[in-house]
Amino acid sequence: MEYRQRNGYLVSAVIVGHFILISAQAGGGHHGGVLDDVAFRAFAQMQRLLTSARGAVAHTWSHYVELRDVHDRNDALTLTVADLQLLLQEQRALAQQARGLQELLGLRQAVDLRTMGARVIATAATPYVRTLTVDRGAEDGVHADDAVIAPEGIVGRIVGAPGPRASRVQLLIDHLAAAGARVERTRASGIVTGGDDGTELRMEYVSNHEQVKVGDRVVTSGTDGIYPPGFVIGTVASVAPGPELDLAIRIVPAVRFSRLEDVLVIVSDDEPLPPLSVASE
Amino acid sequence: MTAIGIALALAAALLAQTAIVRMVASEGPPTDLVLIVVIFAALSRGRLAGLWTGTAGGLLQDMLSGGIIGISGLAKCITGVLVGMAGSRFIIETIWQHMVVIVLASTFHTVSMLGVYALVGAAPAATATFVLSRAAAEGVLGISALTLARGVPVAVQRARQRLSWRRAGRRPWAASHHG
Repeated sequence: MEYRQRNGYLVSAVIVGHFILISAQAGGGHHGGVLDDVAFRAFAQMQRLLTSARGAVAHTWSHYVELRDVHDRNDALTLTVADLQLLLQEQRALAQQARGLQELLGLRQAVDLRTMGARVIATAATPYVRTLTVDRGAEDGVHADDAVIAPEGIVGRIVGAPGPRASRVQLLIDHLAAAGARVERTRASGIVTGGDDGTELRMEYVSNHEQVKVGDRVVTSGTDGIYPPGFVIGTVASVAPGPELDLAIRIVPAVRFSRLEDVLVIVSDDEPLPPLSVASE
Repeated sequence: MTAIGIALALAAALLAQTAIVRMVASEGPPTDLVLIVVIFAALSRGRLAGLWTGTAGGLLQDMLSGGIIGISGLAKCITGVLVGMAGSRFIIETIWQHMVVIVLASTFHTVSMLGVYALVGAAPAATATFVLSRAAAEGVLGISALTLARGVPVAVQRARQRLSWRRAGRRPWAASHHG
């Protein structure tokens, strides 16, 4: 009886301990602190090794056993296409900037982005959080809140303090993620957040008066200060009147998050941007 | 399942979940490998094993995912304790009995995770279909793991037996051939 009672106290103590731990972070405090950092760094090393081993096996199989030459050519072409897609997005962003009157009046928008390639080495350990771990960290110049993109569009942002050689990326499909966005055709602005099922996105705060159609492309607006403007988020999958004065818009993301292997981190420059003159635009 | 076995299974499940299985936005329902380990630990070693395995596994999951630390830990430790209590009160032997336990545990775990998220004001919207499809997927995964865990030792033993019979049968033949 005494043993059972002691176990009951133990279970209660552990549960109360969890509640205290959660409460300490619920107010927006620092998540986990030292423990979080140590676990993240230790597992990042193991994940890097595991990903390298998996990559080596896959590489050997695809390049030396099966269709060696075809795969080499395919890899080169894939890289070229990725480069061209990125270039296209940059050009589109540049064109949008040129069109916008505010940008012409001196709003600072940098299109010439400094990017760094990074490899995905792990995904979140729980299905409720949509994060990735990439093999670039503070030693490579990665900072918290740096935007992460793929050739197809926006992926997410760096969250938490980056480890020395690994960083955690919060994907745009995470239910706590958000980005300033606009419909490319009408320039209707809103906020894109993670969807309910973790595969789609929602666009909120777009007025019922806006003419948004299925198939419209949604791009970043740059108002959040994290994502550069003009980069593709996705396309509108459905539009319906919302419960209040806004539209309920579902978006299919441009990026296939389940197949991400390599991404680009947009490295934020610590140096201030040079003055932008209208004449030079 | 020994304590070292549980620790190794937890580490393997965490590594598999993060580095091998890509379930960021998979076409099927996302599954939680750590929960499967917690359920089997609780069934084989009782509610205290369920408590500690759930706490350790859940906290590590939270730390590796960048979310609020403690949410997975809380949901998994309660699930582990309840499964351990069920394991001590009912006879759970067959595949179907295990299936029922895993599906119920998974449903409870998902609902409690969503509940804790709702308490901190960050609940992801989830439908009953989402909860049930996850429970079914985790049930199938758990049963596959159990079948494998039960089948491998039997297969190894049979292979050893066959080898020993072959060796035993070979000697007299070899002796008569050379003799």
